[in-house]
Amino acid sequence: MALKSIESQSPRASPAPAATNDASERELLERIARSKDQAAFRTLYGNYYQRLSRLLARMSVRREDIEEVINDTFWVVWTKAGEFRGASQLSTWIIGIAYRRALNTLRRAKLRPVSDEPFDEESVSVGSSEEDETNQQWLSLGLERLPVEQRMALELTYTLGHSCEEVAAILDCPVNTVKTRLFRARETLKQVLPALAGMSGDHS
Amino acid sequence: MSPRIPDTHAEAWALLPWLANGRIAADDREWVEAHVGGCAECRAELAAQRMVASNTSREAEQPVAANEEQKSFNKLWARIEAAESATTPATGTLGGGSRASRTVRWLAAAVVVQAVGLGVLGFGALRGDPAHGGEIVTVATPEPRLNAPAVRIVFSPQASIDTVNTLLVHQGLSIVSGPGIHGNFTAELSTDAVASGASAESVAQVMSKDPNVTFAQPVAR
Repeated sequence: MALKSIESQSPRASPAPAATNDASERELLERIARSKDQAAFRTLYGNYYQRLSRLLARMSVRREDIEEVINDTFWVVWTKAGEFRGASQLSTWIIGIAYRRALNTLRRAKLRPVSDEPFDEESVSVGSSEEDETNQQWLSLGLERLPVEQRMALELTYTLGHSCEEVAAILDCPVNTVKTRLFRARETLKQVLPALAGMSGDHS
Repeated sequence: MSPRIPDTHAEAWALLPWLANGRIAADDREWVEAHVGGCAECRAELAAQRMVASNTSREAEQPVAANEEQKSFNKLWARIEAAESATTPATGTLGGGSRASRTVRWLAAAVVVQAVGLGVLGFGALRGDPAHGGEIVTVATPEPRLNAPAVRIVFSPQASIDTVNTLLVHQGLSIVSGPGIHGNFTAELSTDAVASGASAESVAQVMSKDPNVTFAQPVAR
């Protein structure tokens, strides 16, 4: 399978999403803490709804539970806004709450966060002329093969653009654990993503 | 203290995801980039990780339907309102409780009177009574005692108190009078709503499209 030229994929020139808007989001939180400002709360909710929906879906939280987890998270934001001391990014705090709520939901539902389904190569349209679409299909299938901790480390890093330290704070684990999880995730993805396997040699 | 320069392949390899997403720590960026510059294996891996980052980001850009988000928020807000109403002690006077609990009490009474009002209106219309059936509340009908832009609203008889409450809160409205003979209420915009650019006209337009609202017009001031 041909790959989109790697040279054309420059590193993100702009700051990652997690690094932006922190100051303005803190202002929103202050308004919530100070005067229970509904407009500020609605804006903050909107800023996170899509990010959290995707992240929770990646955690294998059931569709019908995603809304509950998001709303439980923002219930905490509403009631504890005044307790946020700013030691971390606001996004780290909010996503960390959502992550822990989601873990509780998964335990309650006795769901297995790791997919045991056999890898269905037929479901990937290898013959597609749309290389990006094909890569995304492979990637989605590859992500489903990862244990939830590795999947989250990868999602938080690549989709939400968090630093290693922020991922560690969200997942409540040491920085080295994050590096290890991502290292393993990368190795697993190479086993299932032809594009990656062709691009990078074995690391030993 | 001199900066740490590990320059080991394994350490650089572990940090490549954050070089790919642009969030590598400033202390590490220089030596990792220097290592990658001289290591073909790390360059290939960096390219692979950039591809993963690019594809996951692109997938994440697919938007969630706006109405899904609004519906979810409505549920959360109703929960917050209910909790805050429950924790606010009733004082027995309209001026004593929180805005939320006042609204709920207003609305509980209002829905009952609204039903009566609609009944009277229907009876009047059936009788052809010009004093009732011929009266139409319009934008031009003046409303005394208004301190802010206001909207005249008639809710659907099927609308629950929770629904009405949620509608009012989301538009930044507080009921200041009503129900009228036709079940109409007058509601003022909050200072916050006005500050955020809402007007009686814009709110009336939104409200009039809601299936729980049968009539919404800005009030002439």
